[in-house]
Amino acid sequence: MRRRQYSPHHGTLSRFDRNVRPAAGRFTYIGSGELGGKAHGLARVQGVLDAKLRDAFAPAITVAIPALTVITTDFFDAFMKQNGLKEVAYSESRDDVIAHAFQRASLPVQLVGDLRAIVEKTHLPLAVRSSSLLEDAMFEPFASVYGTKMVPNNQPDADSRFRGLADAIKYVYASTFFRSARNYMKATHHSTMDEKMAVIVQEVVGTRFGDRYYPHISGVLRSYNFYPVSHAQPEEGIVELALGLGRTIVDEGVSWAFSPAYPRIAPPFKSTQAMLKNSQTRFWAVNMGKPPAYDPICETEYMVTADLGDAEFDGALPLIASTYRPENDSVRIGIGEKGPRVIDFGPILKADMLPLTELLLQLKDVCEDMLDTMVEVEFAVRLARDGGAPAEFGFLQVRPMVVSDATVDIDPEELVGDGVLLSAETALGNGVLDDIRDVVYVRPDRFDIMRTSEVPDELERVNAALVEARRPYLLIGFGRWGTTDPLGGIPANFGQISGAKVIVESSLPNLPFVLSQGSHFFHNVTSFRILYFCVRHDEERGIDWPWLERQPVRFAGELVRHVQLSSPLRVKVDGRTGRGVVLHD
Amino acid sequence: MADKSFNAFEMAQAQFDHVADMLKLDEGTRSLLRFNLREYHMSIPVRMDDGSVKVFRGFRVQHNDARGPAKGGIRFHPAETIDTVRALAMWMTWKTAVVDIPLGGGKGGVVCDPHHLSMREQEQICRGWVRNLARDVGPLRDVPAPDVMTSPQHMLWMLDEFETIRGERLPGFITGKPVGMGGSLGRTEATGYGVVFTIREALKELNIPASDTTMSVQGFGNVSQYAIELYQQVWGKVICVSSWDQADQTSYAFRKKNGVDLQELRSITDRFGGIDKAKAKELGYEVLPGDAWIEQDVDVLMPGALENQITAANVKRISNRVKIIAEGANGPTTPDADKVIKERGIFLIPDFLANAGGVTCSYFEQVQCNMNYFWEKDEVLGKLDTKMTSAFAAVSELAKKRKVYMRDAAYLIAIGRVAQACKERGWA
Repeated sequence: MRRRQYSPHHGTLSRFDRNVRPAAGRFTYIGSGELGGKAHGLARVQGVLDAKLRDAFAPAITVAIPALTVITTDFFDAFMKQNGLKEVAYSESRDDVIAHAFQRASLPVQLVGDLRAIVEKTHLPLAVRSSSLLEDAMFEPFASVYGTKMVPNNQPDADSRFRGLADAIKYVYASTFFRSARNYMKATHHSTMDEKMAVIVQEVVGTRFGDRYYPHISGVLRSYNFYPVSHAQPEEGIVELALGLGRTIVDEGVSWAFSPAYPRIAPPFKSTQAMLKNSQTRFWAVNMGKPPAYDPICETEYMVTADLGDAEFDGALPLIASTYRPENDSVRIGIGEKGPRVIDFGPILKADMLPLTELLLQLKDVCEDMLDTMVEVEFAVRLARDGGAPAEFGFLQVRPMVVSDATVDIDPEELVGDGVLLSAETALGNGVLDDIRDVVYVRPDRFDIMRTSEVPDELERVNAALVEARRPYLLIGFGRWGTTDPLGGIPANFGQISGAKVIVESSLPNLPFVLSQGSHFFHNVTSFRILYFCVRHDEERGIDWPWLERQPVRFAGELVRHVQLSSPLRVKVDGRTGRGVVLHD
Repeated sequence: MADKSFNAFEMAQAQFDHVADMLKLDEGTRSLLRFNLREYHMSIPVRMDDGSVKVFRGFRVQHNDARGPAKGGIRFHPAETIDTVRALAMWMTWKTAVVDIPLGGGKGGVVCDPHHLSMREQEQICRGWVRNLARDVGPLRDVPAPDVMTSPQHMLWMLDEFETIRGERLPGFITGKPVGMGGSLGRTEATGYGVVFTIREALKELNIPASDTTMSVQGFGNVSQYAIELYQQVWGKVICVSSWDQADQTSYAFRKKNGVDLQELRSITDRFGGIDKAKAKELGYEVLPGDAWIEQDVDVLMPGALENQITAANVKRISNRVKIIAEGANGPTTPDADKVIKERGIFLIPDFLANAGGVTCSYFEQVQCNMNYFWEKDEVLGKLDTKMTSAFAAVSELAKKRKVYMRDAAYLIAIGRVAQACKERGWA
């Protein structure tokens, strides 16, 4: 295992001071331990961001890391030790049992005074994020493995705000030991014992609209684009944007994706209708209104979803949306006319009303230079009250992005014929695997759209056994892997399928799913070099189910089957063309 | 306490007069604050285990309640005197005022020696004390707490008697109760932790990196143990601790230059805070005369157990390296010694500021009891940190602004607040 020591005692960081008000770009720490990967990444780029980008696009856009404080890893150690939490943490207990045990524990006395000072100094919503030692280290992507919690921090009394913040920190600590994280550790051959958690407490970028608080734009910028459209080249990168909090992109896979070099080129929807159907219709916000039922072990306790009508009422759409014109089946930039809204960021990307893409192109170069690798950047943008410029660009995190550079050639003829288990023209990743001897698949004969929520439990058991035995496997399922909507596919988290080296998602004749193309686990898929196939039932190439049915069965559950092959599969994906094929003897 | 040449109340009045002059208090306010508002004396007859009846003398003094209900402990001690109780009640008024909690000052006591009383006899004293005072104490009048030789068990007996008389549940009547019976989480640690919060702020004030500092501590009771715990967890090393030896009737200091091990010392300490000197030697501690704690080459001195520990006789033995004295105990420094400390420019954190963590947490307990809703420990300690830090900042700022000694600054703030409350109520 590669471990880096991230000491806070360098760079532009300063020790947290209760008497200093938080401000954008102010980066402080509490404690004498390590910062963790995420915070360390931010610390590394902060100086360069300030020097090169802060005012480069002013007054239209100013760039800064939102005010944040890192609680270093020594408090995690003290919290675990002082409360005797190791037993429950390293047990096989359910997530909610672990979370409750952590909620009952007390934060170290050396920390709590500073936490009170944080909530007394700011009334803005706070994001409490993990920043673990293993997280975000090169080739070890722990993105979305641990919990992140938003707290509104707007209650009138400091006690309630303190309670919300303390509960959120305990939740993030507890998430280190949740089942998905444990499975993930096994899959990556790490030990939970190696892990230490720092926590980032950061002001949420956004604007308050009544009972909702959210950024006008959330986004992810990646250096490498596995799905280049039209003239775009993979190295030019890809940007995904969404209205509201970034959860929509990271966890739900809904976004407006484009190459920053060609922002006017829309994602390849089959039709305007398809675009209307598949673009963002709901968004996430921090709930600033009536307190929800107390549920400190729920990650979305203080979050709400709303629809585009709410966003329009809030006045958040002028630079974000365009309008569908049914009379000629077209989309008109902006919201000047009545009609259904489409979140396509048209006024910015097509009418250049904000130099966002220029900024993103420069940001990509700056971060790649700084980290000397391809990167993935998360950001959020707050527009002016009227939904226009000037804007504040909040830089939320940066991590390395792993891209295989091996050249794989696949001829179109290879995609069909004897010996082909499955193939696709829209495979994700790049490389060749020769060591897959296990196939785990959702049984097509038993598949029931009303029972998709039961599938992850069976998968988890099979996954755990295969991870334990260190046997990488090929996984096949129907609909979107990792969806939060059980009607849209299999709502598994990555920890439940963490041992899969090849993931296949397929549509069915009677259920024409919109496939995720790996978006739910995008970072994991790319960083672990997982090969991802999207197979449409209506294409010539399908899946050779009869061959699979003939293979020796190791496990036959109610909804899932595991077969073990006598000789390994050969899996090939050409990242440049998106072609992929799985061959058997 | 047993020293007859020393009258604590006269000393408390002298301190008050000094600050009253600085504040230029008018005569009416001076007269009001130099004395107690109310004072109760009682006789408590108890049928002893041998069948005889013994009468114990008890007191309750309410020095001032202009800022809120009186607050203060109940002491059981054979050499208790009304003047000691009066002085302590006055100091409680200043203590609650300096940390700005809405309480006044009080103190109580019973002349008795619990070492020679059965638990049943002690229970009868507790119940008798409450029967005498039930009309004059209560959650909104006067809230007692444990003190010298009284414990959470004594508080529960007193609460039970009070609730029986009043015919209702009133857990806010008394503090220091066991957790689960109306007590607050964090109370045990509060005084010791509170002292360290103020030391932390003083180190910041003096621009001394806390991680490199060392401390020597007098006493190994509750206050000292938790102060050492927190100090060593986060900051520097404690290299010397003194404790009373019951068998030898003297104290010893235990030194380990690379830092004492708190858990190790706790494991060889009796319930009165006495460290076993033979076992300490085996563990590699140097066993020195009891007052050696004061002459250690350290950055911080913390007298944590008894009054009159820094005197004219030993103050000159304080090392030149000492930058801070944090008075964890009540009245550990005699006025003569205080002058020397002031002249030497050592940063002093006065007792009623440094050890106010205990009463602050008692206040939190009272609030929780009155709401019948109890907080998590981290919430209690977070509030405690905030209160102590704010109180320190106010005193320190005033000391700098008016160029006065920290003790004087603390008194100026405390007495000023009480005097103001009296004026606003139209009492003076």
